[in-house]
Amino acid sequence: MSLAAEASKWGATIKIAWSKYLAYKLNFLLQVLGPVLVFFFIRYNLWSAIYGLEGVKTLQGYNFSEMISYQVWVMIVGFIGLGFNGMNLAEDIRLGRISAYLIYPFGFWQFHASSFLAFQLIQLGVAGITLIAVSLAGWVEFTALNLLLGVLYCCCVALFWFQVNFLIGILAFWLEETWVMRVMMVTVSQFFSGALIPLEIFPAWLRQVLDYLPFPYLTWVPVKIFSGTYNQPLLPAFGLILLWSLIAWGCAQYVWQRGIKAYTGAGI
Amino acid sequence: MKTLKRYGAIYREFVNNCFAAALTYRLHFILLIVMDLIFYFTILGSVEFLFQHLDKIGPWGRTEFMFFMSFMIAVEHLHMTFISENFWEFSYDIRTGRLDFILLKPVGALFIIFFRSMRPGTLLNGFFPWAYLIYFGSQLHLNALQWLALPLLVLLGLALLTSVEILISMSMFWIVESMGVNFFRMQLQQVARWPDFVYQYFAQKFFSYLVPVLLVGSAPVSFLITGDWTGLSKMLGLLVICWGLIGFFWRKGLASYESASS
Repeated sequence: MSLAAEASKWGATIKIAWSKYLAYKLNFLLQVLGPVLVFFFIRYNLWSAIYGLEGVKTLQGYNFSEMISYQVWVMIVGFIGLGFNGMNLAEDIRLGRISAYLIYPFGFWQFHASSFLAFQLIQLGVAGITLIAVSLAGWVEFTALNLLLGVLYCCCVALFWFQVNFLIGILAFWLEETWVMRVMMVTVSQFFSGALIPLEIFPAWLRQVLDYLPFPYLTWVPVKIFSGTYNQPLLPAFGLILLWSLIAWGCAQYVWQRGIKAYTGAGI
Repeated sequence: MKTLKRYGAIYREFVNNCFAAALTYRLHFILLIVMDLIFYFTILGSVEFLFQHLDKIGPWGRTEFMFFMSFMIAVEHLHMTFISENFWEFSYDIRTGRLDFILLKPVGALFIIFFRSMRPGTLLNGFFPWAYLIYFGSQLHLNALQWLALPLLVLLGLALLTSVEILISMSMFWIVESMGVNFFRMQLQQVARWPDFVYQYFAQKFFSYLVPVLLVGSAPVSFLITGDWTGLSKMLGLLVICWGLIGFFWRKGLASYESASS
């Protein structure tokens, strides 16, 4: 098959995904943008209260404006990095809806990957608009290079989340519901990635444990890259998140191969 | 009394059905328990880590703050066990027209819609929030009357949170894809998870009067710590207003409901 034909399939699927995502704009706002904005709103208020009422000048090296800047970058990372793909995968598998995809001349993974790309393009736009607004408000400062590196890193984080969500979704070949695992993964990663509170505030022993896990690379590292305060070599950071994505992809491929054999095609 | 007995019997059937369904999928049952434990750990862990570097946040020290968090966890535990699942089903009922069958039943439709499903797995986790609540409550030296009031205050908080959410979910009648409304509801729970003094002036007023989720935990805990009644009286007043509005929007919603299945 020619590359052009394959590209046109990806392009067509991306267009369909765009129209699906944006068909119900209020829903998109509440489901995708709302959580990130509310998350920032709560953090902004909490840190304002901590720094304002207590007379605290710095907390583990962060003054108030640095903490707000950290929270703004967490929001930007949330927009670009966190994906929602695979939310309906369990239902699609349980009700036999994926049978339709299996007879298309376009792979199931490819279909979801192009939907993911469509979502990422929308989210990049949203992040860009947000960044302009917060820059005008004077909440963040950045250089073009840090911005470029940060966005690149966030795309790697998004790739990781895409693979993980896909992997969790296709566990529905054996499980009745998979949303619980997704919620668990998001809750754990938000906490251990430094999205709730910066990792510098965590106890030292826990930070040492986290060095061996992918969580810091999901929020803390991209935030530090954006703000230009990541003082370790960048290549290993990119390598590690890509390695974790590759591991998740490998697991997803393995589970898919096993799952498709167990698939009964309910409703056919 | 007769009506209460009848509804009690119906609720017992709902509970039996939910237990039977939950035990069919045992892994899901266990995962729900693990998910809740992780949720409790992250909430309490965040505050614990903060207080390793701070003596106070606002007027509260670590014990008061942890007591508040435990109170909110206790409210959310009951919410997740008995109420939460129903909001997702309500959205599905309206979109697919399944609401028709509920409206035909000779029982209050709102009762069926918002109380038919529960998560038995989550029920088993009730030990944890109450253990925290008792532990931090005893550190605050609550007296006998305060201990007696505590379960009632948790129920009052649950009633207000549920009422606000039911009112918000009435918008599902007009929004075709209402998954977003459920996400919005969950964001309000996040807002409620922190005490009111954390929020700045307008946010505090907005979430105390217009969408009064901040009262869910802040008013009862302030009452227990300082004996201040005003928050509780606001809660009761807003509960009445909420139910008045729910009745109004429920009738309006039914009038515009298009019944997808017929």
